[in-house]
Amino acid sequence: MNNQNEENLKELFERFADAEQAEKHVEDVQKAEQILREYPAPEPDDMLIANIKAEIAMRLPARRAYVFRRKVYKAAAVAAAVVILGAVSLRLFEKDVVEPQRMAYASLIPTVIWESNDIATDDEDLAIFTAEAEQIEDEVLTLQFGEDSSNGERAVSELEMELIEIEGDFWKG
Amino acid sequence: MAKSDYLARTIIGCRNGDSACFSQIVDTYASRLYGYFFRLTGNNDVSDELLSEFFVKLVEKIGSYKGGSFESWLFKIASNIFHDYLRSKQRQKKLLDARKEQLESEITEPKQSGSERIDKLQIQLTKLDADTKELVMLRFYSELSFKEIAAMRSEPIGTTLAKLHRGLKKLRELMER
Repeated sequence: MNNQNEENLKELFERFADAEQAEKHVEDVQKAEQILREYPAPEPDDMLIANIKAEIAMRLPARRAYVFRRKVYKAAAVAAAVVILGAVSLRLFEKDVVEPQRMAYASLIPTVIWESNDIATDDEDLAIFTAEAEQIEDEVLTLQFGEDSSNGERAVSELEMELIEIEGDFWKG
Repeated sequence: MAKSDYLARTIIGCRNGDSACFSQIVDTYASRLYGYFFRLTGNNDVSDELLSEFFVKLVEKIGSYKGGSFESWLFKIASNIFHDYLRSKQRQKKLLDARKEQLESEITEPKQSGSERIDKLQIQLTKLDADTKELVMLRFYSELSFKEIAAMRSEPIGTTLAKLHRGLKKLRELMER
């Protein structure tokens, strides 16, 4: 019949009082509810019930129209959301196509330096490296042509290694 | 078919605007709701009015029922309607200050006129404070569990239990005098 029947009142009261008190509380509740059952309230008039049913029947078409309108609004909102999402996705997709072009410019070294004809003035570090590299290059050439007499081959190897090291440092930044 | 399945189908019918399903709801709950309104107001005419208002509200609000205890949902609406009625009466009281006593008696005390049957219970109920009286009537007519009533009133179950126990005990004492 109802959820009250599934309820264990004693157990419920025992959460807040000792067993003896809980039993007394349950008895109070049950006796009071028995009194309420002994004094039933009047029933609604049959005419009133008929009028209520008629009133409901009269209001239902308006409710159905309201429900239909709500569904239409919801559908319109969903459609609008789909269109907006589609448009946004399309723009994002177009961006994806363009992006590799922009990526081509991305580099640790600024574009200006890449495109410059006078690197040394554009970047101080680069200028130092370039000077060192040129100096070593000259030394290598001197050694290769036998202009330096002592330990020719070993000196060349050392210089080449130094050159490689400088190049490595340069690329590491 | 189980009662809960039957009720679920009826509710779906109501949501789809089926008047036969609404009639079933009226047949099932009108008596209990009327009892609830009558015991709170002590007046047949007002109870008639509140019951009609309740079902009009039900037609409007059935779409917002999101599952859970249907009785709990129904009696929440009934409770709101009763409180709206009390508020409107209080507004009237302020406007018609000269008739204050007369109007107060209409709200809180049973009116014996015409076919109204004022029983001992109705008289004793006026001796309970408004909140306790409402709680006792809610428990009796909604047939909800203490747990459901506590959830509906957004208060701890211990509070509901204590208030109801005190109210029912007092009512019992009053009735046994």
